[in-house]
Amino acid sequence: MKNIVFKSLFLGGLLCLIFSCTNLDEDPYLFDKVTGKEFGKTKLEINSAVAAAYSNLSGYATGSPMQLNEVTTDEMVVPTRGPDWGDGGHWVRLKEHTYAADDPAPEGGWNFCYSGITTCNRLIANLTEIDTDLSLSFLPEIKTLRAIYYYWLLDWYGNVPLSIDFADTEPPTNATRQEIYNFVESELLTNAPLLKKPTTIPDIATYGRVNFYTAQACLAKLYLNAEIYTGKAEWDNAISASNEIINSSIYELAPNYVDNFVETNQNSKEFIWAIPYDEVKFRGFGWPTMTLSQLSQATFNMSVKPNNGFATTLDHYNSYIDPNQNPGPQNTVVGLDPLGIPITGTDDKRMRANFLVGPQFSSDGERLKDSGADADDPDGTPITFTPYINELEPSAWRQSGGRISKWQYYLGMTSNLNNDFAVFRYADILLIKAEAMARKNGDWNDASVLDIVNQIRTQHGGVAPFTSLTPITFLAERGREMFAETWRRQDMIRFGTYNDSYLFHEKDPDNHVNIFPIPATQLNANKNLEQNPGY
Amino acid sequence: MRQLLLTLFFSLNFFGNPQEISLELTNPTLKQVINIIESQSEYKFAYGSNVTLSSKFSGKYIYQNQSLEKILKGLSDRTPYSFAILGNNIAITPDTKGEEDPMPQASVQQATVRGTVTDQNGNPLPSVTILEKGTNNGVLTDFDGNFSIEVASNESVLVLTYVGMRTVEQVVDTNTTIDIQMAEDAQSLDEVMVVGYGTQRKKTITSAITNIDAEEFNKGNINNVAQLLQGKVAGLSISRAGGNPNGDFNIRLRGLSTLGSGTQPLVVVDGQVGADLNSIDPNDIKSIDVLKDASSAAIYGTRGSAGVIIVTTKKGRPGISTMNYNGSVSIENGVRFTEHMSADEYRNLIGNLGTGTDFGGNTDWYDEITRTAISHQQNLSFSGGNDNTTYNASLNYRNNKGIAITTGFEQLNGRFHLTHRALENKLVFNVQLISTTRESDLGYESAFQYATIYNPTSPVYALNPEQDLAGGGGYFEVSAQDYSNPVAVLKQNTNNLKLKRLNFTGSVEYEIIDGLKILTRYARQSTSTFGTTFSPKTAWYSGFSRNGYSTKSDDEGITQLYENVLSYDGNISDLDISAVAGYSYQDFIYNGFNADGGNFVTDLSAEDFSTAQDFQNGLGTIGSYKNGSRLVAFFGRVGLNYNDYAFFSASLRREGSTQFGPENKWGYFPAVSSGLDFSKIFNIPSFNLLKVRGSFGITGALPPSSGLSQLTYNGRGNYLINGTWTTTYGPNQNGNPELKWERKSEYDFGVDFAAFESRLNGTIDYYTRKTSDLIFNVTVPSPPALFNRAWRNVGDLKSSGIELALSYKVLEGNDFNWTTSGNFSHNKTELSRLDPSAGSYIGESNLGSPGQNATLLTRTYAGGEVGTFFQSVYRGVDENGKFLFDDGEGNAVLATETNYKTAIGNGLPKFELGWTNTFFYKRFDLNIFLRGSFGHDLINTQRAFFENPSVASVYNVVNTKYYNPNLNDAQLFSSYYVENGDFVKLDNATLGYNFIISGENNSIKSLRAFISGNNLFTITGYTGADPEVRYSDNGNILAPGIDRRSSWVLTRSFTLGINISL
Repeated sequence: MKNIVFKSLFLGGLLCLIFSCTNLDEDPYLFDKVTGKEFGKTKLEINSAVAAAYSNLSGYATGSPMQLNEVTTDEMVVPTRGPDWGDGGHWVRLKEHTYAADDPAPEGGWNFCYSGITTCNRLIANLTEIDTDLSLSFLPEIKTLRAIYYYWLLDWYGNVPLSIDFADTEPPTNATRQEIYNFVESELLTNAPLLKKPTTIPDIATYGRVNFYTAQACLAKLYLNAEIYTGKAEWDNAISASNEIINSSIYELAPNYVDNFVETNQNSKEFIWAIPYDEVKFRGFGWPTMTLSQLSQATFNMSVKPNNGFATTLDHYNSYIDPNQNPGPQNTVVGLDPLGIPITGTDDKRMRANFLVGPQFSSDGERLKDSGADADDPDGTPITFTPYINELEPSAWRQSGGRISKWQYYLGMTSNLNNDFAVFRYADILLIKAEAMARKNGDWNDASVLDIVNQIRTQHGGVAPFTSLTPITFLAERGREMFAETWRRQDMIRFGTYNDSYLFHEKDPDNHVNIFPIPATQLNANKNLEQNPGY
Repeated sequence: MRQLLLTLFFSLNFFGNPQEISLELTNPTLKQVINIIESQSEYKFAYGSNVTLSSKFSGKYIYQNQSLEKILKGLSDRTPYSFAILGNNIAITPDTKGEEDPMPQASVQQATVRGTVTDQNGNPLPSVTILEKGTNNGVLTDFDGNFSIEVASNESVLVLTYVGMRTVEQVVDTNTTIDIQMAEDAQSLDEVMVVGYGTQRKKTITSAITNIDAEEFNKGNINNVAQLLQGKVAGLSISRAGGNPNGDFNIRLRGLSTLGSGTQPLVVVDGQVGADLNSIDPNDIKSIDVLKDASSAAIYGTRGSAGVIIVTTKKGRPGISTMNYNGSVSIENGVRFTEHMSADEYRNLIGNLGTGTDFGGNTDWYDEITRTAISHQQNLSFSGGNDNTTYNASLNYRNNKGIAITTGFEQLNGRFHLTHRALENKLVFNVQLISTTRESDLGYESAFQYATIYNPTSPVYALNPEQDLAGGGGYFEVSAQDYSNPVAVLKQNTNNLKLKRLNFTGSVEYEIIDGLKILTRYARQSTSTFGTTFSPKTAWYSGFSRNGYSTKSDDEGITQLYENVLSYDGNISDLDISAVAGYSYQDFIYNGFNADGGNFVTDLSAEDFSTAQDFQNGLGTIGSYKNGSRLVAFFGRVGLNYNDYAFFSASLRREGSTQFGPENKWGYFPAVSSGLDFSKIFNIPSFNLLKVRGSFGITGALPPSSGLSQLTYNGRGNYLINGTWTTTYGPNQNGNPELKWERKSEYDFGVDFAAFESRLNGTIDYYTRKTSDLIFNVTVPSPPALFNRAWRNVGDLKSSGIELALSYKVLEGNDFNWTTSGNFSHNKTELSRLDPSAGSYIGESNLGSPGQNATLLTRTYAGGEVGTFFQSVYRGVDENGKFLFDDGEGNAVLATETNYKTAIGNGLPKFELGWTNTFFYKRFDLNIFLRGSFGHDLINTQRAFFENPSVASVYNVVNTKYYNPNLNDAQLFSSYYVENGDFVKLDNATLGYNFIISGENNSIKSLRAFISGNNLFTITGYTGADPEVRYSDNGNILAPGIDRRSSWVLTRSFTLGINISL
């Protein structure tokens, strides 16, 4: 009897289990995530979803986009400091224009853009599917942002895949640079009128996001470089896109150059589109650690040890203080040479804002000393940042190089600055207009051109106005104003100097390096892709 | 148990059974004879390991209604065995070679000998057959292992035989009391091996399974279960570079067979699938079985691709109450370091270079951060029980110090196992509780890196305030990239981990009818770890910059198992049948919480996180997670055994997981195997086993985490929307609804043999396999994918290998025994196919910062071997000290002038060896174990970073035999830093002594003392600290062979221990 009871009990239990527990739905196990189809019901959820299109931007100002646009040019360098910053030679390759398809910066730039683009594609599909007034209202903004990502791709790589439909999962082929150009132009033109149009600056509602004037700024950049992209100049369009912004009269030059770069710069009336960096909420603006010496930690009471890397070049530094290149008030001590001898020259406020040079002190006023200073460095143990860099590699002195301090440092900063970064700034738009006018008329000494340039120069630099301009002096002025704002590479290409010989860079044998290689990882993963010519 | 009582009952009835038996056999085997006599009488046969059941007797054996005595006499005369009736048993002993069987009649008994027979642990052995050699005079030991036998003379020899034990011959001499200890015979063919959902006798096994008993385990300074097996099983690679007591061992079976989640074998502890290998203390393990081929592992289906390790714990035995104590003390020292310059050498170098700083000191940083570590472990266990209930309880305490100052752990592990039988033993309950707590001081591995490169002229402590950069710490510090005073790193900063693990297992088994059983098992394992790091304001390493900094993390993993298994054992005449069918349900939940923050008001109350002001200003971070998965399976297996010479087994598991796309959740994992023992079919001289077997099976592997098949969203930082910071929500990965089971199909061909009365034992296996639908995180085209990496089924791995294990009893004497055994394994694995969507190669790893970012080291090409280093080829330096690399056309050109890279090495070994020699001399035993790996290369990153005079401006310089003082170039990686990693280590030598416990009523049953040395020497040409194979790089299994700078150094230890049984 007992046997039967047990038998039934066990067999019953077994059968019961066999027929009940075969459910393999995964959703109950994903406690900390949601699956896509469940998301996007409330206003907060939609705002939150749209915000994802922007969160990718955190890598712009000091990540691969900046590196591609600045380290390749005459204004910035990452020297190999003994055991530091060799990194397989890729910083040197950026400088020497020998970048390869498997180098990190070209890969990073690609990933940065397409990560943004695919997110926009996904949001366009999702918001269209949700199909409420609120969800649809975001579409022009997201399409514009996507067009800006494509603009960067157009500028850096030229022939990239045009992937705009989230439902299309086929590995795409390259489009031509002309096709990308056409897409960017048409998307910006179509969507700009649908975007919010601020009436005052700062405009809290669209701060950090793209609005009507952002689209115009991107159009201005597109048209300014159109000749490089397509072979066909678009000076009139560049001027009219710039005029859309200038004639709105809501933007104006900041009274002081540094107003654009201080910790609390979000109210600058020059910002057409800024990335709202924050040491807590939106991290990624990393200049302090990238450029300052390990010991500078004590200068700024930082919460991290910096890595002693990026610097400006002596040539670029000299373009501020050399009276021939930059006439202005003279005989002011503007720094020290490697032997500690004071250097006098033009005192341009932008030089003082953009670079940290000279003897370094702790926040208590003690002179900083580097007991590990290179023995052959004439500065010796007391730390002095000198614009002079003894060599590119392998043993650049630890203290050498003017440090990049354009976004003003502050006590107690972390590795992520609070300062916001303007992608499009009013002074830039003014310079675009001036350049387009000069090029359209073939006259760099046109009065309106000189007027625009001198307006910026005198207000921001506090230096003497130019009485005449050449393409070379215009480019140098543009460099002083726009240093490190991620436009130097396209400016040099436009002025034909990118392939020339300059400090730490020999003349390029040919100009295939004016667009970057498509990353090797992507070529490896996508057989439909073709490498850019010359790589 | 019942059998034992019967034996006792009938032993009163001495020689009293007038039973008549008939048999008619032609060329029978011993087993057939046994079967027929057992089926016609009440007698059971008893025999030791020296009896081969498959022995074939020639001729016709015809007896009609003869008495048992007569038949046995006849068999004794005609076969090489003697048969004697002892109580209700018939003892079989082999005839001694070359000796006439004198068969003297039981004449005048001259002496009575008494004694007790015990096993190695002092447990009494009942029913041991004791025969006076060359006679039919014999007895069996009683319940308590006692015996009493009358023998003819002082010269008489007692022969003791017992299943699973080595046969003992003992001269009586003048003793009247003889206590005899019997040792387990690991090579016994009757040894029971644990297989998936059941047990099998060794000789019936048809797949590649290796059993390792406690006796064969590695000895000495053992703190991790994996160490017990290191080098003992052909094809099972176990490695841990350096002597970090908190470091994990990498376990790899038969090379790399999966890219899925489990490259380490599945662990089953007493039926608890998926238990943690270290939930059991090494002291509590009775035996470990390793299922190597796919056919044996397929019953575990999903997670069996990397093999299965089955751990069987020690259990109580009825009527035998014992208490055991084991204790040992170890001392450990560092023995191999990366060679670097002494203070004087460095002074000399920087003098010549005109760079770097002489701080006037003379510090050996390795000396400063290491110590002689003294560790000890204590184990106390009790076991016993009665006919219905048996128990085993143990408590293990380990206090293990690392050679790096401040490191080590303290562990307490308790285990309780209870078995209860009811309803005439038809109903069996098992309960096991295991609990572990462990508190570890992990220290910081980077201290070893800094000890290599810290300027040797620096003093340990600051001589003036300028050198005390952290203001108040008192340690000498210099500001440089990735550079901290290693003594300060270890002494000022804490890194603690508290682990709590609980295992509950309960099962109930009921025998429905004879041979048919149903078992239900529930098991739950929960592991929680609580980590805390703290770095005070005065610590330059990290706390200074954060004004005190602390992190805390609390993680928990819970796995639950529910199984129902129906099993059947029976026979149809000569065909033994065993079958298993079952259902399994497993549920996994992982959750955790972590926070980090700094800026403490004071270091003194750093355990109060609310005083970390970072949390007020938003710089502190917190996070949490929770996810899980479920596995559901149905399985079955049939095993057939025809007359102990033909064997067949087939199994099937159908398993489903929540982790796959809707169409791909279920997978089938079948297996078949069969074997034939030729020694039983043909009369092969000297061989008592010659089994040829073949198997085929399919196993699977899961993705590494849940949710990978779906497009899932999570929080991804913030952005300003309408002037308000809004938490963004977006996908965290590319979803892949196509994701499906990774499948490994493997053929295994093996030969098991035993010859010369099992003096020589061996196993040879050849396997070839293909793993398809490899699950790996590969680069995918983006666009169109959201992210440039995705978990995909990307290709096939193909591999093959050979394993050989041999054991030979070189000497078998009364006083001196010597057994030598060795194993050899070879494996080669290539990525035979790569899906075009994943490109032409996968897997890369970076040499890293400072200074060598973007230096990719490994690459596995489709069609190429796994583990290949892919980089520049070193061709020397030019007259200016600049690196020359190969340009791919055989020219040595400046490194900057070529981008040519090719395969320059491979991190996986070509073959591995283990060699054990065991000696017994009287009461001494000596065990010597050598282990080696060959054919693997290592990337010596210490050299790649620091063996370059250009680093002397800041760092000390590595100077191995490859150091080139003329080098004057940036750090550039090339084949120059790739070295051959071949090594042979004397892993362990142990000398033990078993004390004689005299006196009849001594309460101590046995006492053993041993001294053991671990890692006594290493023979290698490698210049780094430890040539051990690195199977993965920070979890990247396609990047083996990278010896990272922060690795612990190699250590040597000596251990003194005792085992006492009461």
